Amino acid sequence: MKRTGSRCAAVALTALALLGTACGTKGGDDGGGQGADGVATGPGVTDDTITLGALTDLTGPYATLGESIVNAQQLWADQINADGGICGRDIRIEVEDHGYDVQKAVAAYAQLSPDVLAMPQVIGSPVVDALVDSIEADGVLTFPQAWSASLLGHDAVQVLGTTYDLDMMRAVDFLVREQGLAEGDRIGHVYFEGEYGANALEGSTHAARAAGLTVVEQKIKATDTDLTAQVTALRGEDVRAVLISAGPAQTASLVGVAAAAGFEVPVVTSAPGFAPQLLKTPAAPALTAQLHIVTAIPSVSSDLPAVRKLVADYTRTYPDALVDSGVLSGYNAAVLMGESLKAACDAGDLTREGLVTAHRSRDQVDVGLGSPQDFSDAAQPSSTASYLIRPDRDAVGGTTGVEDARTPPGAEEFSASRGE
Amino acid sequence: MTTALDILLNGLALGSVYALVALGFVIIFKASGVMNFAQGSLLLLGGYLTAVLHEELGFLPALLLAVAATALVAGLVDRVLLRGMDPRHHHILTIMTIGVDILLLTELARRIGGDLLTLGDPWGNDVLTLAGVTVPTSRVASITVSVLVIGTVFAAFRHTDWGLSLRAASEDQEAAALMGVRLGRVRTLAWALAGALAALAALFLTAFPAPGLERTTGQIALKAFPAAILGGMASPPGALLGSLLIGVTEALAAGYQSELSALGRGLGDVAPYLVMIVVLLVRPHGLLGTKEAVRV
Repeated sequence: MKRTGSRCAAVALTALALLGTACGTKGGDDGGGQGADGVATGPGVTDDTITLGALTDLTGPYATLGESIVNAQQLWADQINADGGICGRDIRIEVEDHGYDVQKAVAAYAQLSPDVLAMPQVIGSPVVDALVDSIEADGVLTFPQAWSASLLGHDAVQVLGTTYDLDMMRAVDFLVREQGLAEGDRIGHVYFEGEYGANALEGSTHAARAAGLTVVEQKIKATDTDLTAQVTALRGEDVRAVLISAGPAQTASLVGVAAAAGFEVPVVTSAPGFAPQLLKTPAAPALTAQLHIVTAIPSVSSDLPAVRKLVADYTRTYPDALVDSGVLSGYNAAVLMGESLKAACDAGDLTREGLVTAHRSRDQVDVGLGSPQDFSDAAQPSSTASYLIRPDRDAVGGTTGVEDARTPPGAEEFSASRGE
Repeated sequence: MTTALDILLNGLALGSVYALVALGFVIIFKASGVMNFAQGSLLLLGGYLTAVLHEELGFLPALLLAVAATALVAGLVDRVLLRGMDPRHHHILTIMTIGVDILLLTELARRIGGDLLTLGDPWGNDVLTLAGVTVPTSRVASITVSVLVIGTVFAAFRHTDWGLSLRAASEDQEAAALMGVRLGRVRTLAWALAGALAALAALFLTAFPAPGLERTTGQIALKAFPAAILGGMASPPGALLGSLLIGVTEALAAGYQSELSALGRGLGDVAPYLVMIVVLLVRPHGLLGTKEAVRV
């Protein structure tokens, strides 16, 4: 794990000496210069190194996920560097831990941002919400590990894959298509207060209306881990299926309670609502029987060649680490960042502006780790198609694929009309 | 109808667990006039110890050891940290418990990280069906054990020397000390008992309908705060009554969320505090609190 500190100061000093420009000011520090190879450079780029930043959670509630993403992205950097780097420069990733604390994250960003070209990882919706305006003003190309539609519309911020609302549309589509829900039926939606839940609810409500279903809402907080009351209420409303946009603990409680009460309806969540650790809780059999997960990236146990190679490389490098969805999503983000860096290098411009421009010029990116991505419109997510997977104790990463990437009906129109 | 019964039973089960925590608040308050803000992290400590010990020792020994260890830690907090302080400065001691809470919580959260730990309780996800109502066995166990433990504590208040000393100390510390009550010992025992109750509460808070122990589990202790306060901070039966009231209110507010949606979503989280405020408006000393005689 790399931490900044005196080394950061050393890097800053070196950068200062090399570039001969002011360094350390927050904001659009263009540090304009040109490398020996004629490529225009700015913050985070020297003649032999490209420095990227990661704001992650290694000590907070998403510590397990954070560690997976950090490991996976470091694995990518090591592989790239072994092949000669990008643009003749080595990739270095500076990692800062914020412990899912917005205040710490803001401080960490202020320290990190002057010295990095881009950020392939920022964990946590509240963290990204707090930083999005600074990131946009500084022009630091950022791939957040958060998927709220409110992050769309920023040139420098790229939501990778589908937003929470599209995931829930996909969930409703699955319920109608495969689980026999019909017009007039009710579905429950249990969701966290805040951006994640609110955005998910927009999607479920929209898709339910289109399919003639009614949504029964149950709002909860992150500290609610016993969902007995919610299940009882939903059962009283006679819902035929339940959507849940919360954390893994809430999903486990919901499904466990429902199964114990003989309320065996299908339950669908999105990626943040599941973690492989749940398969060690008493709710495991119920989860396997009732739960499906909508996710922008395929299951880690997918047989896509690139995914299998990643899992093999990862388990060789980190034999004791858990392989979860963070490994794939982190690695995927890093590879996509690498592709945009290469494009910027080809255009001869490795400044922040150059990188954002190169990134936004790409509308068909397929790195073999999931559905193709279109980065050309900042107001739209990079894909409208998501996968459907289910818990599986015997599979790598605790999940196995059920349906391939698919765009739910009406998703493109919905996405285009968003924000109007 | 079954729904209403379901909700009521769930509320009572929740209330019985809150009661274990609230009773801890009250005992410490009676013994020393201090609000113990570290109750949540003591709860987390108890749960964490049970979780890490149960695989080697088996469930029951692990639980007993965890309860004993948490009682010891709570007792030590009193002996080591609070002993040297002037006991009349309740507010300073109270703020010190916030410090203890932050220290304990930070270390435990670091150890637990993003994990979800199971405490290895024997009930798993079994359910009982009584008169058409399905109840998780762990809930029945929670109500039974809480009733037994709380009954024992109440009996101890009434029939043991310690109970008498505690009641005397809560009436008038100075007079009690003059009568030969060893205030320090009464207080340390009160802390240890509160610690033990918190560790036991951790078991039932993380058992089946909940998925397991998380780093945030201790925050649930905050819900026992309004319970202790609305019961009248120094009254153990009041804490019990308050806890049941809070548990049932919370279950009702969540269970009838759709019907109550005019008041906004997520009412269940606010409801305990609403009830507390309403009760305190009507009865400023709490449900069973006693008015302090103030000499004018």
